[in-house]
Amino acid sequence: MASTLQTQDSPRPGGFPAIRYKRNIPKRGPSGLVILTGLTAISTLGFYWASQTIQELRELKRERIWSRIYLVPMLQAELDRDSYRRTRASLQREAEIMKDVPDWKVGESVYNTKRYVPPSVFVLPEK
Amino acid sequence: MAATNQHPFLSNVPFKDETPLPEDIPRVDDVGTTSAPLKSAAFFIGAYCKDFNDDYMLCKNENNDPKHCLKEGRKVTRLRKLRENCDKEFEAHWQCLDKNNQEYYQCRPQEKTFNTCVFNALNLEKVIPGTPQGKPPIHLKESPIFKPS
Repeated sequence: MASTLQTQDSPRPGGFPAIRYKRNIPKRGPSGLVILTGLTAISTLGFYWASQTIQELRELKRERIWSRIYLVPMLQAELDRDSYRRTRASLQREAEIMKDVPDWKVGESVYNTKRYVPPSVFVLPEK
Repeated sequence: MAATNQHPFLSNVPFKDETPLPEDIPRVDDVGTTSAPLKSAAFFIGAYCKDFNDDYMLCKNENNDPKHCLKEGRKVTRLRKLRENCDKEFEAHWQCLDKNNQEYYQCRPQEKTFNTCVFNALNLEKVIPGTPQGKPPIHLKESPIFKPS
Protein backbone atom coordinates (compact mmCIF):
# COMPACT_ATOMS: atom_id res chain seq x y z
CA MET A 1 0.00 0.00 0.00
CA ALA A 2 1.45 3.11 -1.18
CA SER A 3 1.66 5.61 1.51
CA THR A 4 -0.25 8.78 0.86
CA LEU A 5 1.85 11.80 0.61
CA GLN A 6 1.38 13.85 3.73
CA THR A 7 1.14 17.52 2.76
CA GLN A 8 1.08 20.42 5.20
CA ASP A 9 -1.23 23.37 4.71
CA SER A 10 0.70 26.36 3.73
CA PRO A 11 -0.32 29.92 3.11
CA ARG A 12 -1.71 30.75 -0.18
CA PRO A 13 0.66 32.28 -2.58
CA GLY A 14 1.18 35.88 -1.68
CA GLY A 15 0.32 35.28 1.92
CA PHE A 16 -2.81 36.04 3.92
CA PRO A 17 -4.06 39.63 4.14
CA ALA A 18 -3.57 41.38 7.44
CA ILE A 19 -6.28 40.72 9.98
CA ARG A 20 -8.51 43.76 10.55
CA TYR A 21 -8.71 44.10 14.25
CA LYS A 22 -8.70 47.94 14.53
CA ARG A 23 -11.98 49.87 14.61
CA ASN A 24 -12.52 51.61 11.38
CA ILE A 25 -14.29 54.83 12.35
CA PRO A 26 -13.56 58.04 10.52
CA LYS A 27 -12.14 60.92 12.59
CA ARG A 28 -14.71 63.56 13.31
CA GLY A 29 -14.73 67.01 14.88
CA PRO A 30 -11.92 69.14 16.26
CA SER A 31 -9.21 67.64 18.33
CA GLY A 32 -9.17 67.65 22.10
CA LEU A 33 -6.58 70.38 22.22
CA VAL A 34 -8.74 72.69 20.12
CA ILE A 35 -11.79 72.04 22.27
CA LEU A 36 -9.83 72.63 25.43
CA THR A 37 -8.35 75.92 24.25
CA GLY A 38 -11.71 77.09 22.95
CA LEU A 39 -13.35 76.29 26.23
CA THR A 40 -10.68 78.13 28.18
CA ALA A 41 -11.00 81.17 25.93
CA ILE A 42 -14.78 81.34 26.27
CA SER A 43 -14.59 80.90 30.03
CA THR A 44 -11.95 83.60 30.37
CA LEU A 45 -14.07 86.03 28.42
CA GLY A 46 -17.11 85.17 30.51
CA PHE A 47 -15.24 85.61 33.77
CA TYR A 48 -13.90 88.95 32.55
CA TRP A 49 -17.38 90.21 31.74
CA ALA A 50 -18.72 88.91 35.02
CA SER A 51 -15.99 90.65 36.98
CA GLN A 52 -16.61 93.91 35.14
CA THR A 53 -20.31 93.67 35.92
CA ILE A 54 -19.65 92.87 39.56
CA GLN A 55 -17.31 95.84 39.88
CA GLU A 56 -19.86 98.18 38.35
CA LEU A 57 -22.62 96.81 40.56
CA ARG A 58 -20.39 97.41 43.54
CA GLU A 59 -19.92 101.05 42.53
CA LEU A 60 -23.65 101.50 41.99
CA LYS A 61 -24.23 100.08 45.43
CA ARG A 62 -21.68 102.44 46.93
CA GLU A 63 -23.43 105.36 45.25
CA ARG A 64 -26.77 104.20 46.64
CA ILE A 65 -25.38 103.76 50.14
CA TRP A 66 -23.75 107.19 50.22
CA SER A 67 -26.86 108.90 48.97
CA ARG A 68 -28.58 107.44 52.00
CA ILE A 69 -25.77 108.31 54.40
CA TYR A 70 -25.94 111.95 53.33
CA LEU A 71 -29.65 112.05 54.08
CA VAL A 72 -29.47 110.41 57.49
CA PRO A 73 -28.77 113.57 59.58
CA MET A 74 -31.72 115.42 58.11
CA LEU A 75 -34.15 112.56 58.50
CA GLN A 76 -32.91 111.83 62.00
CA ALA A 77 -33.20 115.48 63.01
CA GLU A 78 -36.79 115.54 61.84
CA LEU A 79 -37.56 112.39 63.75
CA ASP A 80 -35.85 113.80 66.83
CA ARG A 81 -37.99 116.92 66.83
CA ASP A 82 -41.13 114.87 66.51
CA SER A 83 -40.23 112.31 69.16
CA TYR A 84 -39.20 115.09 71.54
CA ARG A 85 -42.56 116.77 71.04
CA ARG A 86 -44.43 113.51 71.66
CA THR A 87 -42.38 112.57 74.70
CA ARG A 88 -42.98 115.95 76.25
CA ALA A 89 -46.72 115.71 75.68
CA SER A 90 -46.71 112.25 77.19
CA LEU A 91 -44.83 113.48 80.25
CA GLN A 92 -47.28 116.32 80.70
CA ARG A 93 -50.18 113.89 80.69
CA GLU A 94 -48.35 111.68 83.15
CA ALA A 95 -47.84 114.64 85.48
CA GLU A 96 -51.52 115.49 85.20
CA ILE A 97 -52.60 111.95 86.04
CA MET A 98 -50.17 111.43 88.92
CA LYS A 99 -50.45 114.87 90.48
CA ASP A 100 -52.13 113.48 93.61
CA VAL A 101 -49.45 110.91 94.30
CA PRO A 102 -46.74 112.26 96.57
CA ASP A 103 -43.10 111.55 95.74
CA TRP A 104 -43.93 110.66 92.15
CA LYS A 105 -41.16 111.69 89.81
CA VAL A 106 -42.51 112.35 86.36
CA GLY A 107 -40.60 110.60 83.61
CA GLU A 108 -38.13 108.94 85.94
CA SER A 109 -36.13 106.28 84.20
CA VAL A 110 -36.45 102.76 85.51
CA TYR A 111 -32.91 102.00 84.42
CA ASN A 112 -29.91 102.65 86.56
CA THR A 113 -27.89 104.35 83.86
CA LYS A 114 -27.12 107.81 82.58
CA ARG A 115 -27.37 106.64 79.01
CA TYR A 116 -30.52 107.60 77.10
CA VAL A 117 -33.03 104.78 76.93
CA PRO A 118 -36.00 105.33 74.62
CA PRO A 119 -39.22 105.25 76.60
CA SER A 120 -41.19 102.06 76.22
CA VAL A 121 -44.37 103.37 77.81
CA PHE A 122 -46.31 106.34 76.49
CA VAL A 123 -49.23 107.86 78.31
CA LEU A 124 -52.17 108.42 76.00
CA PRO A 125 -55.16 110.59 76.87
CA GLU A 126 -58.33 108.79 77.83
CA LYS A 127 -60.97 108.84 75.17
CA MET B 1 -66.22 95.04 64.70
CA ALA B 2 -68.53 93.44 67.18
CA ALA B 3 -68.44 94.85 70.66
CA THR B 4 -67.48 91.50 72.15
CA ASN B 5 -64.27 91.41 70.13
CA GLN B 6 -63.06 94.73 71.42
CA HIS B 7 -59.98 94.81 73.52
CA PRO B 8 -60.64 96.18 77.02
CA PHE B 9 -58.11 98.99 76.77
CA LEU B 10 -56.22 98.86 73.48
CA SER B 11 -57.64 100.98 70.72
CA ASN B 12 -57.79 100.43 66.98
CA VAL B 13 -58.06 104.12 66.32
CA PRO B 14 -54.65 105.54 65.44
CA PHE B 15 -53.56 108.06 68.02
CA LYS B 16 -52.48 111.40 66.64
CA ASP B 17 -50.69 113.64 69.07
CA GLU B 18 -51.28 117.25 68.07
CA THR B 19 -49.53 118.84 71.03
CA PRO B 20 -47.24 121.50 69.58
CA LEU B 21 -43.60 121.96 70.45
CA PRO B 22 -43.04 124.27 73.42
CA GLU B 23 -42.49 127.96 72.73
CA ASP B 24 -38.82 128.01 73.61
CA ILE B 25 -37.94 125.74 70.69
CA PRO B 26 -37.96 127.46 67.31
CA ARG B 27 -40.27 125.88 64.84
CA VAL B 28 -38.70 124.21 61.82
CA ASP B 29 -40.80 123.04 58.92
CA ASP B 30 -40.39 119.51 57.71
CA VAL B 31 -38.60 119.08 54.43
CA GLY B 32 -41.89 117.91 53.03
CA THR B 33 -40.74 116.01 49.97
CA THR B 34 -40.96 112.41 48.98
CA SER B 35 -37.98 110.12 48.66
CA ALA B 36 -37.23 110.78 44.98
CA PRO B 37 -36.34 114.50 45.30
CA LEU B 38 -34.33 113.69 48.40
CA LYS B 39 -32.44 110.96 46.62
CA SER B 40 -31.85 113.23 43.66
CA ALA B 41 -30.43 115.97 45.88
CA ALA B 42 -28.67 113.69 48.37
CA PHE B 43 -25.11 114.26 47.19
CA PHE B 44 -25.55 118.03 47.10
CA ILE B 45 -27.15 118.04 50.52
CA GLY B 46 -24.19 116.03 51.71
CA ALA B 47 -21.74 118.47 50.16
CA TYR B 48 -23.52 121.68 51.07
CA CYS B 49 -24.36 120.81 54.66
CA LYS B 50 -21.30 118.75 55.42
CA ASP B 51 -20.23 120.70 58.50
CA PHE B 52 -23.70 120.80 60.02
CA ASN B 53 -24.29 117.15 59.28
CA ASP B 54 -20.98 116.10 60.83
CA ASP B 55 -21.68 118.30 63.81
CA TYR B 56 -25.09 116.75 64.26
CA MET B 57 -23.86 113.18 63.92
CA LEU B 58 -21.04 113.80 66.41
CA CYS B 59 -23.61 115.21 68.79
CA LYS B 60 -25.78 112.14 68.32
CA ASN B 61 -22.78 109.96 68.96
CA GLU B 62 -22.30 111.78 72.22
CA ASN B 63 -25.86 111.27 73.39
CA ASN B 64 -28.73 109.54 71.64
CA ASP B 65 -31.39 111.50 73.48
CA PRO B 66 -33.63 113.36 70.98
CA LYS B 67 -33.54 116.36 73.31
CA HIS B 68 -29.78 116.59 73.29
CA CYS B 69 -29.25 117.57 69.65
CA LEU B 70 -32.24 119.74 68.85
CA LYS B 71 -30.05 122.79 68.37
CA GLU B 72 -27.68 121.06 65.97
CA GLY B 73 -30.59 119.37 64.23
CA ARG B 74 -32.22 122.67 63.37
CA LYS B 75 -29.34 123.66 61.12
CA VAL B 76 -29.67 120.53 59.08
CA THR B 77 -31.02 121.45 55.81
CA ARG B 78 -33.35 122.75 53.13
CA LEU B 79 -33.77 122.19 49.44
CA ARG B 80 -34.48 125.84 48.75
CA LYS B 81 -31.22 126.70 47.03
CA LEU B 82 -31.58 123.89 44.54
CA ARG B 83 -35.10 124.96 43.74
CA GLU B 84 -34.02 128.55 43.18
CA ASN B 85 -31.17 127.78 40.85
CA CYS B 86 -31.79 124.53 39.03
CA ASP B 87 -35.47 123.90 39.40
CA LYS B 88 -36.03 122.55 35.89
CA GLU B 89 -33.08 120.14 35.91
CA PHE B 90 -33.84 119.04 39.45
CA GLU B 91 -37.44 118.37 38.51
CA ALA B 92 -36.42 116.34 35.46
CA HIS B 93 -33.97 114.24 37.44
CA TRP B 94 -36.20 113.38 40.34
CA GLN B 95 -39.16 112.68 38.09
CA CYS B 96 -36.92 110.24 36.23
CA LEU B 97 -35.83 108.62 39.51
CA ASP B 98 -39.42 108.38 40.59
CA LYS B 99 -40.37 106.55 37.43
CA ASN B 100 -37.35 104.23 37.36
CA ASN B 101 -37.41 102.56 40.74
CA GLN B 102 -35.03 105.22 42.07
CA GLU B 103 -32.06 103.74 40.28
CA TYR B 104 -29.38 106.31 39.57
CA TYR B 105 -28.08 104.44 36.51
CA GLN B 106 -31.42 104.84 34.77
CA CYS B 107 -31.18 108.63 34.88
CA ARG B 108 -27.62 109.46 33.86
CA PRO B 109 -28.51 111.95 31.09
CA GLN B 110 -30.77 113.99 33.39
CA GLU B 111 -28.23 113.68 36.16
CA LYS B 112 -25.51 115.08 33.93
CA THR B 113 -27.41 118.26 33.11
CA PHE B 114 -28.48 118.60 36.73
CA ASN B 115 -24.92 118.18 37.99
CA THR B 116 -23.46 120.73 35.59
CA CYS B 117 -26.21 123.19 36.48
CA VAL B 118 -25.56 122.81 40.20
CA PHE B 119 -21.83 123.04 39.65
CA ASN B 120 -22.22 126.31 37.75
CA ALA B 121 -24.74 127.82 40.13
CA LEU B 122 -23.65 126.63 43.56
CA ASN B 123 -20.17 125.23 42.92
CA LEU B 124 -21.13 121.89 44.39
CA GLU B 125 -19.83 118.64 43.02
CA LYS B 126 -21.06 115.11 43.35
CA VAL B 127 -18.40 113.05 45.09
CA ILE B 128 -18.86 109.41 45.99
CA PRO B 129 -16.45 108.56 48.80
CA GLY B 130 -14.46 105.38 48.45
CA THR B 131 -14.31 105.22 44.66
CA PRO B 132 -11.30 103.09 43.65
CA GLN B 133 -8.16 105.04 42.80
CA GLY B 134 -7.60 105.84 39.12
CA LYS B 135 -11.09 104.91 38.03
CA PRO B 136 -13.81 107.36 37.06
CA PRO B 137 -16.66 107.54 39.54
CA ILE B 138 -19.64 105.55 38.42
CA HIS B 139 -21.75 108.53 37.38
CA LEU B 140 -19.01 109.69 34.99
CA LYS B 141 -18.22 106.29 33.48
CA GLU B 142 -18.02 106.47 29.69
CA SER B 143 -19.69 103.22 28.71
CA PRO B 144 -21.39 101.67 31.68
CA ILE B 145 -22.70 98.14 31.56
CA PHE B 146 -25.94 99.22 33.20
CA LYS B 147 -27.38 101.76 30.81
CA PRO B 148 -30.62 103.70 30.92
CA SER B 149 -33.18 101.50 29.26
